[in-house]
Amino acid sequence: MSHSLHRRGSCESLKDDFVLLVTPSVGINNKGSADALWKILDIVQEVGPDNLGSYETGTIFTGATVEEIRTAMGDTPRVRCCFDSREKMFEVIKRIKELDAGLSVVISGLNEDVLEMAKDLDLRPHSVNYSLGIHGRTEKLPPEEVLEFITMCGHGMISRNLVKENIEAVRAGRKKIHDAAVAIAQPCVCGIFNVDRAEKLLKKFCPQQNEAD
Amino acid sequence: MLVHEELCVGCGLCVKYCPVGAISIVDRKAVIDQDKCLECGTCGRKRVVKCPRGALYENPGVYTYPRSIRKFFSDPMAYHPETKVPGRGTEEVKTNDVTGRVKRGEYGIAIEMGRPSVGASYVDVEKMTMALAKFNIEYEAKNPVKSLFLDEAKGTLKEEAKQQRVISGIIEFTIPAEELDDVLATVMETAKTIDTVFSLDLICRFDDEHPYEMPKVPELAKFGLEPRPNSKINLGMGRPLVEE
Ligand code: SF4
Ligand code: SF4
Repeated sequence: MSHSLHRRGSCESLKDDFVLLVTPSVGINNKGSADALWKILDIVQEVGPDNLGSYETGTIFTGATVEEIRTAMGDTPRVRCCFDSREKMFEVIKRIKELDAGLSVVISGLNEDVLEMAKDLDLRPHSVNYSLGIHGRTEKLPPEEVLEFITMCGHGMISRNLVKENIEAVRAGRKKIHDAAVAIAQPCVCGIFNVDRAEKLLKKFCPQQNEAD
Repeated sequence: MLVHEELCVGCGLCVKYCPVGAISIVDRKAVIDQDKCLECGTCGRKRVVKCPRGALYENPGVYTYPRSIRKFFSDPMAYHPETKVPGRGTEEVKTNDVTGRVKRGEYGIAIEMGRPSVGASYVDVEKMTMALAKFNIEYEAKNPVKSLFLDEAKGTLKEEAKQQRVISGIIEFTIPAEELDDVLATVMETAKTIDTVFSLDLICRFDDEHPYEMPKVPELAKFGLEPRPNSKINLGMGRPLVEE
């Protein structure tokens, strides 16, 4: 599913938020892809993702170790993770290009940034999945500030009440920004929830707590 | 999900984690409304919800059809028997550079019913698929929603599926570019009749002559639709590359 699409928020808030997806296609190039995917996972680890997880183990923010994630991934790992800086994202794509494994690489991020990176690396973008917004009974949605957190988990695992409670706890000085960001991130199992961005959002929504952290 | 009543101490910790508000505390015990529960699995994940008594457990009947529909369309850790992949959709744009699923002169559409944060009943999914029936749509073969059709040509779904609610169900298909206008008109009109929300996706190819410009889709403006500034871009690194 397009779980990394539909992240909400302003360009300013999305600028350090990139999701990497490397996917072998079943019946086309999945045979013999395991080696390359392991190498790509090594690259991701060396550069340093913001979050990493797997459907089998959950994420590093719930106590899954990188070793555990690797072991559980089996013969053909699916590489899904997020980065909190353009520089890191660029470095990872550059090294995947050098590897020349022929696997499909998709980046979720601000269009402008992704296109610029593609140009700098002499890659030709093939196709795009656009997010055309939310429709229907939109009055059932939580407030936009809550949606910005919730939509970082495309599987819909993060409840609005969890977000609200953590925002309130930070506002009231009962919780540190980092701890609240991690608490909100934990239900996301595959590791595309950007904790660094969540911290920035909490700082924005709870400005009086800036100094405390 | 179920609660071992004798173990639960009613601390309330689990309540805030449920994405659909199915858990409440009644007489100092957690109670899960089985109609509201979408079997997403979150409250039972011991590393996420640290229930002090280990009182939450998976209903053993959850993998039995039709309750299993909730599980497979709500819990990303559960594998779909139909697609053998976790999740609710397909490879869509992720591998479009090698599958050529959406070619030049075509658009890929995904209507993600229930997303975000609201959830959807298959009654609403059916409203959309019935409205789209007039287009002779070929639904994405690997999308698990496909297995729930009663009559695909009419867009009707199986009765037992319609009794289920899920975190999200994705209606996914490809159309020739010239049909976009009519399809969008139908989707936006049907949006007024459903009892949930949906997120709308549109997949298209980059223009070879302007490889570093986002492709323009002039039909969107008429419906007040505008692509968000962030999207999902396939960098064309897959081999063998599909050029068409
Ligand atoms: S966290 Fe456990 S003990 Fe506390 S209310 Fe929920 S089920 Fe009961
Ligand atoms: S399994 Fe998911 S939907 Fe059901 S009660 Fe637990 S958190 Fe709520």
